[in-house]
Amino acid sequence: MKTVTIIIALIILLFLIYLCQPKSRKMFILNLLTQVKYLIPRYFT
Amino acid sequence: MNDYDVIIIGAGCGGLSSGALLSNQGRKVLVIEQSEQVGGCCSTFEKQGYKIDIGASIIEFPQVIDLCFKRMGTSFYDEVDLIPVDPTFSAILHDGSKITYPISLEETRKQIEKISPKDAKGWEEYSKKIQGFLDAALEGFFVSPAGNLTDVIKLFAKTPALLKYNRLFFSSYEGIMRKYFKNEKILESFSFHSFYAGLPPALLPGHFAMLPYAEHAGIYYSKGGMIGIPRGLQKCGERSNMEVRLNTLVKKILIKNKRVKGVMLDDGTEITTNLVISNINAKKMYFEMVGEEHLPWLAKLGLRSYAYSIASPMLYLCLDYEPPLTEHHTLMTRPMDKTNDYWNSHYLKGSFPKEQFGILSWTTKSDPSLAPEGHHIIAVTLAPGAYHLTGTTWDKEKPVLKEKIIHYLADTHLPGLKDHVVLSELSTPVDFEKRLRSPEGAIYALRQDLPHSMMFRPSAKSRHIKGLYLVGASTHPGGGVPTVIASGMIVADLIEKYEQ
Ligand SMILES: Cc1cc2nc3c(=O)[nH]c(=O)nc-3n(C[C@H](O)[C@H](O)[C@H](O)COP(=O)(O)OP(=O)(O)OC[C@H]3O[C@@H](n4cnc5c(N)ncnc54)[C@H](O)[C@@H]3O)c2cc1C
Repeated sequence: MKTVTIIIALIILLFLIYLCQPKSRKMFILNLLTQVKYLIPRYFT
Repeated sequence: MNDYDVIIIGAGCGGLSSGALLSNQGRKVLVIEQSEQVGGCCSTFEKQGYKIDIGASIIEFPQVIDLCFKRMGTSFYDEVDLIPVDPTFSAILHDGSKITYPISLEETRKQIEKISPKDAKGWEEYSKKIQGFLDAALEGFFVSPAGNLTDVIKLFAKTPALLKYNRLFFSSYEGIMRKYFKNEKILESFSFHSFYAGLPPALLPGHFAMLPYAEHAGIYYSKGGMIGIPRGLQKCGERSNMEVRLNTLVKKILIKNKRVKGVMLDDGTEITTNLVISNINAKKMYFEMVGEEHLPWLAKLGLRSYAYSIASPMLYLCLDYEPPLTEHHTLMTRPMDKTNDYWNSHYLKGSFPKEQFGILSWTTKSDPSLAPEGHHIIAVTLAPGAYHLTGTTWDKEKPVLKEKIIHYLADTHLPGLKDHVVLSELSTPVDFEKRLRSPEGAIYALRQDLPHSMMFRPSAKSRHIKGLYLVGASTHPGGGVPTVIASGMIVADLIEKYEQ
């Protein structure tokens, strides 16, 4: 339970940090995040 | 007995550099090119006495290209007639003001100082930082394979100095430039450079912040047109019996038991070999020439996930007057945030405005012999244009768009233009796709952000088909004439190592 709370708190914190970033940095981060799911398949190309 | 030791599909700079190096190693090499000339994106066509460059209009990083020629016992400067370009470029900013950057670092610092004394200090710090990075990168990053985690670890182990620059890889181009420059005019003058690697400033990885600096180590134009560079590579290869076959389309890569056996041409002819190097778009090559049946599901997923790089519509203008420009390269720029906005509100939405930014490449400024006496050529690299336009097509838009852009340029940067156009041609992403068979007209094959880089870009040594190698913009280190030539060196090394 404690671990879950810590993870949720961390996610919220990261989200808040993200919200405080300038527009262009948000664009950069979002672009990376939306492609994370492809990294393993791309590694095998 | 095979017909050839190595067959290369495509005579782009990547294909020709690997072919020249391998024939110098004593292998029997055949390069097959579907178009009527070598060079691919770095080529020149002739029309009514004008020599017009298809795409590339200058080269940076001559040291990298020279490295390739040196391996063949010669030099870039001996094989290609190069014309130095100085100043590096002028930027015409959105407010109409102009900044010119000479090749000298010190003169550039002075130019910056006139606009913003604080940024002159920034220029010094930026130069120091990037020079350090380049020293490390030229030894390792550009010329080492990065096909898997082991390669990447080896690359950093070989040049540990690169680790000092890790922040460059995890910031954006814009982030790095903003760290050193505060004045919006200075920042704007460097904003279009991010499209030299195919992305807006906010999305391009920070190590590409080397681009504006690298120009100061020398940028060159090739006399007679950019085709001089691939021809130089071809000449070196042919000295050791490399063959180049033009106007010949490869349809299939022949594979048996997961091993390359040869290629099949469009007319059904089969040519046998145990080694094929693909210089074409990797996604297209794997799906159309190799075939899904030879690929594991994870690789298919990875290949499908790749986004093609930007397409770049080009407007070729042949003129009977001297255009009111001063430099080989004039950049028509927008502020950084507006350049990012263009990406979101035009490129991604499939619209293409007549208000343009991009590069005016006045090639006859460097080499007047490209046009009849007194005439000039400008190749305009327009803002990135999406392959799929919303609600219309490039073929439908082309005639109207061409006129609109000529009017726009005449009203802004090229007064008098309308009365002096002898010949004009708009090359859309669709035309580019037809000419070079580059899917969606992509100019750097695949996108060049972090998730499409190094071990996440298709591997130079195929993981699934024995004897299949990749060269050119689709593989590490990515698009650009020097970088695809570097990939030619990487692939020649890999073949030397694994295919005795
Ligand atoms: C508009 C534009 C401007 C650019 N400006 C610059 C610049 O100023 N400086 C710079 O350094 N770089 C520039 N670049 C990038 C650079 O030109 C390219 O990244 C580089 O030339 C790509 O080389 P490549 O070897 O990967 O292959 P390509 O040049 O793409 O060549 C591939 C070749 O394969 C051939 N081919 C395709 N399919 C087949 C087939 N089935 N059978 C046989 N042959 C086939 C094609 O005809 C082509 O000749 C520019 C690119 C473009 C398009």
